[in-house]
Amino acid sequence: MGNKPLLKGRKIMNQLTIRCFKEDIILELPKILITAILCIAAFFTFTLSGSEADAADKENCLMCHKYKQIGRIDEQGRKRSYYVNENIYGNTTHRNVPCRDCHSYIDKLPHDEVTEEVNCANECHVKPPFAKENFSHKNIIKVYNESVHGVHKDDSEELKQAKPYCKYCHLNPIYTRVDEKRIAFEQTLSRCLNCHERKGVTQAYKHITHRLRNKTSRSPQEVVQLCSKNCHANMPLMESLKVSPESLESVETYNESIHGKAVALGSQKAADCISCHASSSIHDVYKKDHKLSTVNDANRINTCNQCHENVNERFVQIDVHSGLGREEKPLLYFVNLGLQVVFYASVLGLVGLMLLETKGRKKDGILWQIKKGTSWRGRSKRK
Amino acid sequence: MAGEPKRLEHPKSVYVIGFIFKIITLTVLIGVVYQVTLSPHGPAVLVPIQKKMEESQRSAILDEVRRQEEYEKHRHFHNVVEYPELPENLRPVCYICHSDYPHSKSKKVRAMLNMHTQFFVCETCHIEEKKDATVAYKWYNPYDGNPEGPFFGTSYDPDTGNLVEVEDLFSKIAPYFEFADGKSETALKISDAPLAQDYMKVRDKLTPEQRDNVKKKFHVNIKPKGHECDKCHSKKGILDFKKLAFSPNRAIDLEQLNIKGMVTKYEKFYIPNLFSD
Repeated sequence: MGNKPLLKGRKIMNQLTIRCFKEDIILELPKILITAILCIAAFFTFTLSGSEADAADKENCLMCHKYKQIGRIDEQGRKRSYYVNENIYGNTTHRNVPCRDCHSYIDKLPHDEVTEEVNCANECHVKPPFAKENFSHKNIIKVYNESVHGVHKDDSEELKQAKPYCKYCHLNPIYTRVDEKRIAFEQTLSRCLNCHERKGVTQAYKHITHRLRNKTSRSPQEVVQLCSKNCHANMPLMESLKVSPESLESVETYNESIHGKAVALGSQKAADCISCHASSSIHDVYKKDHKLSTVNDANRINTCNQCHENVNERFVQIDVHSGLGREEKPLLYFVNLGLQVVFYASVLGLVGLMLLETKGRKKDGILWQIKKGTSWRGRSKRK
Repeated sequence: MAGEPKRLEHPKSVYVIGFIFKIITLTVLIGVVYQVTLSPHGPAVLVPIQKKMEESQRSAILDEVRRQEEYEKHRHFHNVVEYPELPENLRPVCYICHSDYPHSKSKKVRAMLNMHTQFFVCETCHIEEKKDATVAYKWYNPYDGNPEGPFFGTSYDPDTGNLVEVEDLFSKIAPYFEFADGKSETALKISDAPLAQDYMKVRDKLTPEQRDNVKKKFHVNIKPKGHECDKCHSKKGILDFKKLAFSPNRAIDLEQLNIKGMVTKYEKFYIPNLFSD
């Protein structure tokens, strides 16, 4: 029912624009007349659009970009896809942002080859609730710029190139339902529906609850993977950027730590990189001697306190990224080695015994063995 | 001794219990061996050897391709969707050299032309007509002799106005030659055609000149410049959209396509800014 105006609106828009091209006489009209007709067409689209992706696609960019094979192999031989899946896009955080709010350099159709990058600090024409200004990411970008990942004046050219920019870490986030144990989705949403329309409020509700799981909406495994792969675990890159020896082996020491092992084994509660190295602002990662760093000596109690109870001065002295180098920490190295020998000797010894036992039992059978005693050594005792 | 059970005449339950114990022992043993050799949580004694082997088999080209794919996902940003792909031997022969993105020359339309490879095979646009036959167009699916759809892009979802999502991702419109005597033959060459297979086998042994010579054979009945937009996107186009299972409103949209006008009639088409704020 509610979509009939939409379809009618689309049809009218299509017919209007079609006429622009179809009738030759229109070609002779001044550009202003064509623009006026398109404005009317656009008006119908704006006012009558109903699809989720349509909300952002007031200028009908999806007319071309909704096809999965739209793209090319560029001059460097790289595959460039220009496809935007309208059903998926309508379920992402950017679903209401008009395309040209980010791609502001596009001013004509067919548009030229895009060489400009999107600026995430652009103000978009979306007004958040409780605010009169247009929405923008500039606050979080300010935090990021001041962080260790932001580009600073005294950075070398190589370092500037290697620093992660917004899209390096972020993909257009798709809403996913938060774990029912944390938030009873339907039950809570049903309260909103008393006053609000289902379609709009469901998306808004997903938007709000999206982050109500951990500090980030990503799992600890995803966070560790993101920070490690291509960056902190890329040894040649890290060495070329002349990072400190501690930073150089940070991924390895994290993976060896209790946090790293728990995350590798699937824990959703154990600390990942962001848990310790950033506050709730997420982008405020600093070197540990920076006073704002969450792992600075002065701030560590608060940081550990996020998960641990009764955190005191002694607790925060525990080396979280503890390497086990023979030269640096010989005592720790040999204790660890000794414990490993004991552990493997016990397990392998037990398995060995089990194998011998199995071999022995094969001789007379388990029931006989239970009744008459062991038969694993020597000749069969069956008489 | 007479009457005494022989050693192997145990009750069946003994074998069952023995088997269970063996499985448990084997599992523990495999676990321990993995823990000692390859697991990141153990001493990983075999990891250096494994890394050395990987290093020797490593391809710089493959690494670069993977890195670019990863980069492209983030550059693209709008959630790249992975779709299943046809195996090499079922793809049209053109794919061997031209890939799924064959057009690159005309800056204005190359991406739009490549978009069409989702809907039809190369021959649909580039086929040279025969004097003694007419060309008919049908949906072609390498997995299904008679595909019935629904096909992608043939109808709109009445609820959202978006194109309907379909299960059939491989069907494409393909040309068939129809002769006066009623016989019909496909104009499509797929990669397991004898000539293509033979070429794949020996292409590394051929000189560039010889390779060019063979390639010419693939281009029999193929014209380098495809059809103009109007050839399909008009009321009397060569593709009968309704016959090809397009819904009536989708067929009208395709016959009277907006993009066609933009591409063919205007150098620049300025987007009005009146409603931007």
